[in-house]
Amino acid sequence: MEDVEAFAGVHLGPGTLYGAIARLEAQGLIEPLEAYERRRPYRLTDTGIAFLQKQLTGLETFASMGLQRLASR
Amino acid sequence: MKIQHYLVRLYPHTWRERYEDELLAMLEQRSLSFTDGVNLLFGALDAQLHPHLGTTGMSLYERIIHMFATLRRSLLTIFCAYIGFILAGWAFQKMTEYDDFVEAARTHSVVGLSFNLVVIGAVVALLAVLAGGLPIAVAVIRSALAQKRRGPLLLLAVPVLAFAVFLGTTFLPEALHRPGNHLSPVWQLFLDRGVFFGTLIAAAVASAGSVCFAVARSEISEKLLRFAVLPSILATISMALVLAATIIWGLGLRDGVPQLFAGNDGLVGSSTTGTWLGIVIAMAIATLLAAVSLIRGLSARSALRNAAA
Repeated sequence: MEDVEAFAGVHLGPGTLYGAIARLEAQGLIEPLEAYERRRPYRLTDTGIAFLQKQLTGLETFASMGLQRLASR
Repeated sequence: MKIQHYLVRLYPHTWRERYEDELLAMLEQRSLSFTDGVNLLFGALDAQLHPHLGTTGMSLYERIIHMFATLRRSLLTIFCAYIGFILAGWAFQKMTEYDDFVEAARTHSVVGLSFNLVVIGAVVALLAVLAGGLPIAVAVIRSALAQKRRGPLLLLAVPVLAFAVFLGTTFLPEALHRPGNHLSPVWQLFLDRGVFFGTLIAAAVASAGSVCFAVARSEISEKLLRFAVLPSILATISMALVLAATIIWGLGLRDGVPQLFAGNDGLVGSSTTGTWLGIVIAMAIATLLAAVSLIRGLSARSALRNAAA
C-alpha cells in the first residue's frame, strides 16, 4: 500500500488491494510465494509477464502518439 | 479484538481461508483509518458477490463443488426473498381492495397505471419462479423416490399443510364471536389480527424453510440449477419493477388524493402512509436480497462453466 502511494501518489485501500490480488491470482497473472512472518509476497507468472508486456507496449504506443500530436501543434 | 478483525470476518469463509492471515498482518502494521475501514467493507461486499475469488488454492473438483453449492444457495435465497416479497405484495393487495383505492385508480391515471404495473410485474415474477422452481421440485421428488427417502417428500408437503392451517385460522374469529364468549376487546383484537398475521408469517417461513431444506438435501443436476438462473433474472427484474410501481403508486396517491394518503385506510385501520412505507421497505429489502443473490449466482454459474471448459 505504501509502495503504491509513494510512486503513484494514490492511496490504495486494503479492500481494493486484496480485491485486485484475488482477481490477478484467479486469472493466473500472479502467484504467491512462501510466506514469511505472516506476510506473503507475490510474483508475476509467465502469463502475467506477457500480459503486462502487452499492456505497457500499448500504453507506450498510445503515449508516444499523443506526444507526437502535441508536438506537431 | 480490533475492529479490522471484525471487518475481515465479513469476507466469505473461503476467501478468509486464503487471504485472512496475510491481510491482517498488513493491517496490523498501522492504525486503520476510517476510509480504509469503509474500503474493507466494500472489499467484503465485492468478495461476497464474486464467490470464485479466493478459490485458487482448491483443486478443480473442490472448486466445482464449492461453486455448485454457492449457486444452489443463491437460488434458494432468491426464492426466500420472493416469498418475503409476496407477503409485502399481499399486504398491498389487501390495502388497495377497498372502494376508495379502486376509485383513486380509476380517476387518477398515475395511480391506475402504476397499480396495473404492480399486477403485471407480480404475474411475471410468479411465472418466472414457477418456471425455475417446478423442474427443481420435480427433481427433488424423483430423487426422493429413486432413493426411497420420505423426508424430502414430507418437506415438500409442508407448504400445503401450512396453507391449510392458515385457512383454518381464518375461521377462528367467527368461532370466537359466538354469543357465549366474553372476551375483552384487547384479547378480541389480539386473537382476530395477531393470530391471523402470526399464522400467515409462520406459514410463509415454514413453507420457504422446508422447500429450501428439501432442495439442499436432494440431488439436483447442475444443468437444472444453471437453467434456473435465467428465470431468477426475470423474477428479480419483475420484483424491482413492482417495487418501482409501488413507490410511484404511493407518490401518485399523495398528489392525486392527499386525504386518502394521509388517512387511516392502511392495514387493520392503520395509517395509509405508514402501511405504504412499510410495504415499500419490505419490498426493497427483498429485492436487494434477491439482486445480491442473483449476482452471486451468476458469478458461480460463470465459474462453473469456466471450470468445466
